[in-house]
Parts: sequence; structure tokens; C-alpha cells
Amino acid sequence: MSSITYLESQKDEYRILDQWLKAREYVYVGKDVKRIDALDKVTGRARYVEDFLVEGLTYARIVKSDIPHGVIEWIRPGRAVEHPDFIALVTCEDIPGLNQVGYYIPDQPALAEKKVRFHGEPVALIVSSKPDSLEELRNLVEVEIKPLKAVYDPLEALKDKVLVHEEHGSNIVLRTKVKKGDVSKALENTDYVVENVYKTGYQEHAYLEPEGALAIPMDGGMTIILPAQYPHLAQSIIARVLGYPQSKIRIIQPVIGGGFGGKDDMGPIIGAQAAIAAYKVRRPVLLVYTREDSFTSHCKRDPAYIRYKSGANRDGKLTFVDVEIIFDAGAYANRGPFTLWRATAHATGPYEVPNVDVRGILVYTNKVYQGSFRGFGNPQVQFAAERQMDELADKIGIDPLEFRLKNILRIGSRISTDQVLEDSVGVGEALVRVAEKCGWFEKRKKYGKIVDGKARGIGLACAWHGISTSRGVPDWCNAYINVSKDGSVSIYTGIVEIGQGTHTGLIQIAAEALGIPVEKINLIGGTTDAPDTGATHGSRGLSFGGVAILLAASKIREKVQKVASRIFECKPEDVEIRDGWVFEKIKPEKRISWEEAVKRCYAEGEELSATGYFFMPKGKFDEEKGQGFAYIVFSYMVSAVEVEVDLETGLTRILKVWPAICAGKIVNPKLAVTQIHGATVQGIGYTLMEEVVIEDGKIVNTNYTDYLIPTISDIPEIDEPIFVEDYFKFGPMGAKGLAEMALIPIPAAITNAIKHAVGVKPSEIPYTPEKLYRDLLRRMRE
Amino acid sequence: MSQNKNINLGYINLFNTHIIPVKFNYHAPQTLEEALNLLNKLKDKARVIAGGTDLIVDMKLRRKEPEHVVSLNKIRELDYITVDSLGVKIGAIVKLRKIEKEKIIRERFPALYEALKSMASIQVRNMGTMVGNICNASPAADTAPPLLIYNATLTAKSLNNERKIPIEEFFKAPGKTALKEDELVTEIFIPYPPQDSHSTFLKITRVGMDLSKVSIAVLTKFNGSIIEDIRIALGAVAPTPLRIRRAEEFLKNKPLTEENLKIVQEIVAKEIKPITDVRSTEWYRREVAKVLVKDALMKCLEEEGGR
Ligand SMILES: Cc1cc2nc3c(=O)[nH]c(=O)nc-3n(C[C@H](O)[C@H](O)[C@H](O)COP(=O)(O)OP(=O)(O)OC[C@H]3O[C@@H](n4cnc5c(N)ncnc54)[C@H](O)[C@@H]3O)c2cc1C
Repeated sequence: MSSITYLESQKDEYRILDQWLKAREYVYVGKDVKRIDALDKVTGRARYVEDFLVEGLTYARIVKSDIPHGVIEWIRPGRAVEHPDFIALVTCEDIPGLNQVGYYIPDQPALAEKKVRFHGEPVALIVSSKPDSLEELRNLVEVEIKPLKAVYDPLEALKDKVLVHEEHGSNIVLRTKVKKGDVSKALENTDYVVENVYKTGYQEHAYLEPEGALAIPMDGGMTIILPAQYPHLAQSIIARVLGYPQSKIRIIQPVIGGGFGGKDDMGPIIGAQAAIAAYKVRRPVLLVYTREDSFTSHCKRDPAYIRYKSGANRDGKLTFVDVEIIFDAGAYANRGPFTLWRATAHATGPYEVPNVDVRGILVYTNKVYQGSFRGFGNPQVQFAAERQMDELADKIGIDPLEFRLKNILRIGSRISTDQVLEDSVGVGEALVRVAEKCGWFEKRKKYGKIVDGKARGIGLACAWHGISTSRGVPDWCNAYINVSKDGSVSIYTGIVEIGQGTHTGLIQIAAEALGIPVEKINLIGGTTDAPDTGATHGSRGLSFGGVAILLAASKIREKVQKVASRIFECKPEDVEIRDGWVFEKIKPEKRISWEEAVKRCYAEGEELSATGYFFMPKGKFDEEKGQGFAYIVFSYMVSAVEVEVDLETGLTRILKVWPAICAGKIVNPKLAVTQIHGATVQGIGYTLMEEVVIEDGKIVNTNYTDYLIPTISDIPEIDEPIFVEDYFKFGPMGAKGLAEMALIPIPAAITNAIKHAVGVKPSEIPYTPEKLYRDLLRRMRE
Repeated sequence: MSQNKNINLGYINLFNTHIIPVKFNYHAPQTLEEALNLLNKLKDKARVIAGGTDLIVDMKLRRKEPEHVVSLNKIRELDYITVDSLGVKIGAIVKLRKIEKEKIIRERFPALYEALKSMASIQVRNMGTMVGNICNASPAADTAPPLLIYNATLTAKSLNNERKIPIEEFFKAPGKTALKEDELVTEIFIPYPPQDSHSTFLKITRVGMDLSKVSIAVLTKFNGSIIEDIRIALGAVAPTPLRIRRAEEFLKNKPLTEENLKIVQEIVAKEIKPITDVRSTEWYRREVAKVLVKDALMKCLEEEGGR
């Protein structure tokens, strides 16, 4: 159905990747190399955006709308001008280029123009000579907005009584579709059918460091020190807003205090805002969102409303899946078209389903807009799909694990879009191994009984997650490597270190390919000084970023091999480079140092720099039919969770989590474990606690006293992860994406365990003690 | 990390370490008298600070904007725990963590010990004080229910006056106490509970380290199967922490039967005035308060039986 297009021009690259994939034995890859940024972080030397002091620095803060929907009458500095620290009030009228920061659909201004569409929308920037007076100054600014009727509920918004964007003519941003077989026919011949509505809420990224940007007008352009996840995207958006050529915008990443996707979207936006202010005042501007600003005004995980109907036969085979997904876009489309498409394609869960009909609708409302967040649209639907699997298993009367195993994706399976999986599908093995490790069958029998007002339960859930961009959306990576005369190596990559440790992993890959110790390598990342590497999102930083580095390093390796082969009088491919030594494979004692070899290259006219461009092979997706190529490869995750529920208070305690991941080759196990831990905990918060409370369009819990994330004492034991290394042919040494995975199955795994413990049927997250308690009472009454 | 080698980015920007957005005068008197003089002069322009774990948060969020902040931390004469035949006296700047580690607290005031142990994190308890917890007058203050059941008394001093305030008369409203603007609390006195009594503290929170959704402290003294003395106090279910006198009166001189337990639960549910806020709902708080009353009483009963 879906054929993948390979490029003739990339044959060499395919060959190099294949060689490394087949090597299987590595010196640096697969080892727990210590993080390169660890020491700076623990000693407080790491510099975040706020830590840079440049000459003539000024400070800015956003002025926000306190009305969820309205027409801007005027914005004036008011008495702020009398303040000695006042420098400027910046509004949309000060924007030299286009007032447009929309990602895919051009619907979003950098600073509100004519209208405001959510409570907390930035309408202006106040610039001060001192950070301490910012709050005072911003309160003096006069903003007059004439309120319009607002709409908050996406189902209500579908009726189009209030239009968030009049010019669009409807609140429906767009629709998505995936279709296979014939669902209505399948329904007639299905033994068991389950239908439910699932709801999920906003999730706040809750990074330690809120958004910030330092814009410095210099060299006839603008340099921005920017916590972003895709420097080249920020560059292009800021160039558009300033009306500059892209090449005049330079992005540099500082140390970043967490991203989780949020800074992928916010980097360009806050970068543009700071740049507009710096353009106006002709001085460097540091714009930082306070914690409250971050809560009110930065994108969050999309709330979802999912109608899910699916069926299976007596033999335990799924027959059809019929789903409607409504994603609440909030005020702007931002990443919604892509999170929704991802949700649509993944709605079946990692199962082979013969008949599929999934329809997605993205709807505008007058609330803070949605955006990228670890899992990117997928946690919502995996919650629905995997809760549904347990309900169906219940109805058929078989064990939920066995039910999953009967339907799980394997090599050769046809997924929801009818694409055939050619390789790298380890999820079946992961399921079996997790079940074994957690004592599945025994606990399923033993638990679910009330002892002293408490009951234990065990549940599990799977997840699949397409890696790279979807459909035919182009995706590429690149890197530039230069070897200095002394043999030390500089790597330039656009991949951003946001705390995940990727830069360390990337250096390991370079060390492997070059055959030199990691200490000899310096990595300059997250900057437009590097070639466009694509974004650090979608679990692609180490896998795709690594491909580019592997390719560039391999090209240099081949040059050194060539020069060395003349010394050893052997064939280039018989030259080995390892641990900083260059020698002929069969005569390792006759060796020269890496430095010596590099000197020779410089002396003999061999260039020691290279780029590693790679264009990911893609197929075609037919939007009309809803069929075709979805993703080049998927990573998979299985998590089992054991809980104890207190029936008198509705409190759920998570006792243990057993994770298994299929992410191809694990480049650095320690980094992988930290990602699995972090994502699991973030998933626990999403499932049980985190709730953005909105009253009349206003977010009321804008701090960590009232927006709850797990604390250290809420974190359960997380078992040593199972790594199913299902190698991927276009990953570095076979690596796939990993960092998002462990969050995705957690909502269903926890709620399935709760169901096992006390019999309620959770259909909404966050599943707070209040909701669990309410469901328990209902169940008792029934 | 990616550094830019062409721009000299200079020194670390220390301006940005300011977390409080307003200016204020900071006083650190060495003696109580100096402190009282300051309060006498500054009146409502001043705020007392002990550990600052409540006040700094409020100032950062601009819920409080005092012109003057008077620190008690240098006043050594307020840093004491003394034990005598009547009870324990705790000075105003004694850290929560230090009280928690005191043997006498663990042995004679188990409800207070449990409450202290449940509060915040060790880091916060190393900074915060019990007097601060009480003076902040949060309905959810965790040391309030135990101090209520132990009939603690506060000593309030101003430049020209000293008075004792029973804790039950201290809380007036959320954030409001019986203190006058020139007064500060110097000491909390906790008398020993009756011989052979049992006491305990329980709370329900949203996450591991958190303010209570509902908290409770209970003290019982049995005579055989009859309850001779009973005290019940709850937190986070009304504008102030409170004793539930009607429930106490009902249970006094009765056995703790299942039926009596049910009635007490209903009385408690009626007496409290929980609200719906971002932390929980009124309905849930009422339901859970009932559960905690039962659990706390059962725990005391168990201890009585196991003695
Ligand atoms: C992360 C975190 C978690 C927390 N968790 C909990 C928890 O689980 N349970 C809980 O109950 N609390 C909790 N708190 C709140 C706080 O830590 C406690 O209330 C603490 O006991 C306050 O003591 P302090 O010395 O820091 O008070 P301060 O902040 O110094 O003072 C608090 C208030 O009391 C006044 N005050 C202080 N001393 C005196 C005095 N001698 N005379 C008159 N007025 C005075 C101050 O003016 C101020 O209004 C938490 C706080 C944080 C930051």
C-alpha cells in the first residue's frame, strides 16, 4: 500500500548506516558515559538565559489581556512613563515585519492585534532599566479591551455561535481522517462491542525554568540567547517578525532548565517578542516570563474528548475500531494539526485492526492554546485505546494481557493507515517480558480484594509512537564536524540540550565513529551556527541528530583511514581506529597516534571537515482516503503498574512500575533510565494530580501550591527497565526515539490497575481521589 | 553547552537573583526588647519574620507587601525548649525540625509529633517554626489541630504588656489572629495531656509534601470501655482550625460503639464548614473528614487495647 521513496543521492549514507548497524560491538556506544554538563550544573556554573549580563541590558515583561475574548480599544503606557526606570511600551505597532508567529496556520500574532483570544494573551511588552520595577510598571500600563462573548467548551465551540477567529468562518481548525476496511460491516459481525467517552485535561510542562529570551541587536542583525528546541525554526520566525533575512538572525542556546516540548513552541514566540522589543529600544532586552506568566500564557498539552467504540470476537481478535477525537486547540492552531494527526493515526493502539475509522476535529476555544508536550497528542488516545482494551477483555472474559498478545503488532502487520511494518517491532516481546517480571497472572488472581478498607490491583498498558515527522512531511538532519590540527574535534549540531543528556550521547556516537576518546570532542549545539538539524522533539534528538553525526564522523574516519593506509601499506578498510590509536587490523602493535594521523592529513592535503546530511526516506499518505505511509518507524513501550486504593478516601498509592521499552539500540543506558524515570513520573502527575483549573476563561491555579506535580515522596519504585533492542536501520547503530515513550502508557496502566483493584471504570484523567471516590459510591449504589 | 565565543557575555547577572519584586527595610534586632520597640514604632507597617517559609512566599506573590520586615532570628532568648513538671515551653524561633526531634514531644505529644513529621520537607522544616505556622493562621496549619487538643497557650508580648492566649481563642479568620499590631508571640506552652490518654494526628494531602485537604487530631482517655476524656480538632475544613465540642460532649462517658462512632461522624460532618477550592471540593472534604474521625478514634482505641 505504502511504498517508501529512497534517494539515489543518499546511497553512500545508507551504506555507512548499515555498516555501523551490523558492527554490533561498540566501544563507547551502549556505555554509561558521564554527562558532560553534570559538573557545571551541580556546581552552579551552568549559565541559564538569566545569567548573562551584557552591556546596556534592559528588562522586559509581557503585559497580558485580563479578558478571554475581546476587541482592543487602546493600549497606553499611562503613568508608567513617569517612572524613572521606564524605557518603552512595545505593542504590535512596533513590529517591523509580519506580526505572525503561527506554526502551521498563520493565525497567531507575536503581540495581540485588534483582538484578544484568551485570558493571559500578551498584548504588549513593558521595558525597564531595572528588573525590580517591572511588576510595578506593568501594572501602570493601561489596556482597554471591549469584551466579546467567549466560548470555552470545545463541544460548545463546534456550534460556531461564538467565533474565535471570524476570518476563518468556523471554530473548526481542521479535520483528520484515517480509514481502513469497513467498520459498519465489521460491527454487524462482531461478538462484543464496547463504547465509551474518554476525557483528558490540560497538562502544564512545569519546567523548573520558565520561558526566557535575551535579544541583542548586533552586527547589523539580532543575536538571541534562547531556550528553544529548534534554533532554525526560531530563526525563521524571528526573521519574519523583524523583516530581516534569516541569515541575520543568530540563535544560541544557553543552558536550559527543561523543555518537554514546551520550549519548541515557546522558543520562537518569546524570542520574537524579545527581538521586537530590542529592535525598538536598540538595546539588549531580557524577557523572562514569571512563573505566573508561564502558567497563564504558554501552551499546554491539548485537552481531548474521545468517543471510542471497538469490538472483538469470541476468539479474542479485534474486529474494528471506530473513534472520534476532539482536540481543544485553545485560541490558536499552533501544533494542533500535528498532535491531532498523530492522535488519529495512533488511535488503534499498537494492534492489528482490520477495520478502522478514526475522525479528528481540532476546535478553537477562548483558552490558552495547546502545544507540543512529551507524547505529542498520543498520550490522550493511548489512554482511551488501552482503557478500551481492558474493558473489551473484561467483556469477552479473557485476560487483558492475552487479549493484547492476540492482536499486538508484529513485523509484517498492517497498521491503522494500512502501512506494512517492515522491521523493528519489539512490542510483543516487551509485553511477555514485563508480564513475567511483574508476576502478572499471580497478581491478577490474588489482587482485587478488599482488606482493611484497601485493595491492590495490577494493570498494564502499551504504547506505540511514530518517530520523525508523519506522512510525507520532509525530515532531515545534519551536522558539521571539524578536526583541528592538534587532533581535537568540534561538532556543530542544531540539536538542543534541554536537560535530557543528548549532547553526551551524541559525543559518544562521534567517539565511536572516529575511534577517539570522548574527552577529545567538543560539541557546540542548539545554535544556528550549526547546519539545520531539525527540531529536538519527537524523540529524535539522539536518533536523528546522531545519524548526522555518525555520517559526518564516518566520512572523516574514511579520510584518516585512507591516509593511514599509505603508511601501513594496506587497504583503507583494513585500517582500524580505536581509543585514539590508528593501526592495521592485523598488526595492532605497529600503530600511530590519532594526533599523528591528523597531522599527516593536514600535511598531505586531506580535508578533515565534513557534514552529515541525511534525508529521511518517506512514503505518501492519501488524505482523501485516509490511508498510506504514516511513519518510517515506531518505538514501543509497555508499563505495568501496581497500585493500592484506599476505598474510604479514594487515594491511590502507586506501589511499583515495571517499564519495558523498544527503542532500538540504547546508546547510553544511564541516560535512558533517567528518561524513563522522568517520563513515568510526569505520567503519574498527568494521570492522578495535574489539573489546570479554569474559571471563566481564567487559569486560577498559577503556582505550584495549587497546580500539583508529584513530589519525591509520590514517586514509586520503578523497576530496572527492560530494553528490547529492536534495531532500526536508519538510526545510529540502530537507535530509535526514547525520551517521550515512558509517559504514554502510564495513564491507562494506572487506571487499569485501579479498575482491577476496586472495579471502577476510569474514563477521565486526572483521576483525582475526588473522582475515584465518586465512582466508588456510584458503584456501590448500583 | 553551546557558548558563543565572539560575544563577550561578561559576568553573571546578579540582578536576576532577586525573587521579591518590592523593596522593604530589613531589621534584625538582637533582643526581644529591641524587637518590641520596633513593633511599637512601626505598627502595621511591619511584619515579623521567623523562618520565612510562609512570609517570603506571600511577599513574592505580592499578597503581603510590608514596608518593614522584623526578623526574630538573631534573638537568642527566643530559642529554647524547656521541660518542667507542667509541660513543655517552646520559644518563637525554634525550628520545626528541632521540635520534631525532641524526645519528650515524641513520647508525650504523639499527635504533635506526627503532625510535624508530616509537614513539608526536611528542608522546609529546618527553616520554618511552629510559632510561624500558628501565627500565619492558615486553616490548614498542620500543628494547629494537635495544639488544640493539647490545650496549648500562647504568650503574646508588646512593649508594655504581656498576655496569655489559649490557642482556641487565637484564630479569627484565614490569616487573622487575636494578635494586636504591636504584639508578637514569644512562646507556646503545651501542658501534658492526662495520664494514660492517647492522641493521634492524621491528614489527607494531594501530593506527598503538601498542605492538608483535611487534617485531624484526636485525644482520648478511656476508663474501661467508657470514654472519660475526648478532644477532637480538625484543620482545613473551616475558616480556622477548630475543636468540635459538640462531638466531644456527645462521646463523653459513652463507649466507642459502632453506633456512637456513626453519630460522631455525622456531628463532625455537620459542624465543619468546608469549601470548594482548587485543592478539593466541599463534598469530598466532608466525606473524608468523617473517615478521618473514625480512623483517628479507632487508632486511639487500638492503642488503649494494646496497652
Ligand atoms: C514547600 C512548602 C511546604 C509547606 N508544607 C506545609 C505543610 O505541610 N503543613 C503546614 O502546616 N505548613 C506548610 N508550609 C507552610 C510553612 O512552612 C509553615 O507554616 C511554617 O511553620 C511557617 O513558619 P515560619 O517560621 O517559616 O513562618 P514565617 O513565614 O516566618 O511567618 C509566618 C507568619 O507568621 C508571622 N509570625 C512569625 N513569627 C511570629 C511571631 N513570633 N509573632 C507574631 N507573628 C509571627 C509572620 O509575620 C507571618 O505572617 C509549607 C511551606 C512551604 C514553602
